[in-house]
Amino acid sequence: MGKLRPKKRPFQFTIPSTPSSLARKEDTMTTSVAPKQQTIELTDLDLTQLSEVKKQLEEELSHLTSSFGQLKQVQTRFQDCIASVETIKGGKSGELVDTDKVIVDVGTGYYIEKGLDDALKFYAEKVEFVKNNSETLQQTITSKQNNLKSKK
Amino acid sequence: MSLDTQLEAATSEYQRLQKELSDAIEARQRLDSQFQENEVVQKEFKLLKDDANIFKLIGPVLVKQDKSEATTNVNKRLDYIRSEIKRVETQLADLSEKSEKKKFEVCR
Repeated sequence: MGKLRPKKRPFQFTIPSTPSSLARKEDTMTTSVAPKQQTIELTDLDLTQLSEVKKQLEEELSHLTSSFGQLKQVQTRFQDCIASVETIKGGKSGELVDTDKVIVDVGTGYYIEKGLDDALKFYAEKVEFVKNNSETLQQTITSKQNNLKSKK
Repeated sequence: MSLDTQLEAATSEYQRLQKELSDAIEARQRLDSQFQENEVVQKEFKLLKDDANIFKLIGPVLVKQDKSEATTNVNKRLDYIRSEIKRVETQLADLSEKSEKKKFEVCR
């Protein structure tokens, strides 16, 4: 069948998302569908499909890496916030009159007035939260990278 | 020849479904991040004293808002997002089923 229509068929189906349903269907269909659609054995894939798989992995990887960069940025921003609050706390705040309280952006358009120590705690928690997330992401990236390397 | 046209029709249909599917996935992800953000705010509200000052950003202005009002507002948002997630989820299931079917059509 590969000879019948070799160019026409776009190979977007790199790895079947639900192999089980594919396998089931194939039992009843005795012909056409190549067995390579069924298993995820890399050696069974042809060159086009292999490069598709590779492309997919690379895309995932670049997405994850950019997310990781964003998380790092956010982390620095929160750390800057901590620094700012600490400056106010240190009393070096030029013309500010009310230095006991700050207004903290908690997201989705809401702002909360907080005492300085509360604000510091808030940001410290945020930094911790982001740090945990980026560590998990780092692990995912590493394992994906290993996947990609083994494909070459 | 007619086989070719059939194949082409099925292929383009399949591609359309794939596009819709990726759109739905994107929507699902967006909802998820909104949900998480709102959840964080909700958690933050819970820690607050009742007389705490809460402001809402409306355009360029910070408007003061009651804690109760803000809380119900966020809760309402969470409910809405939850229902939206459910909607997109069924849409996703539907689309992947359809595209799976198309895939067989193309393979055949």
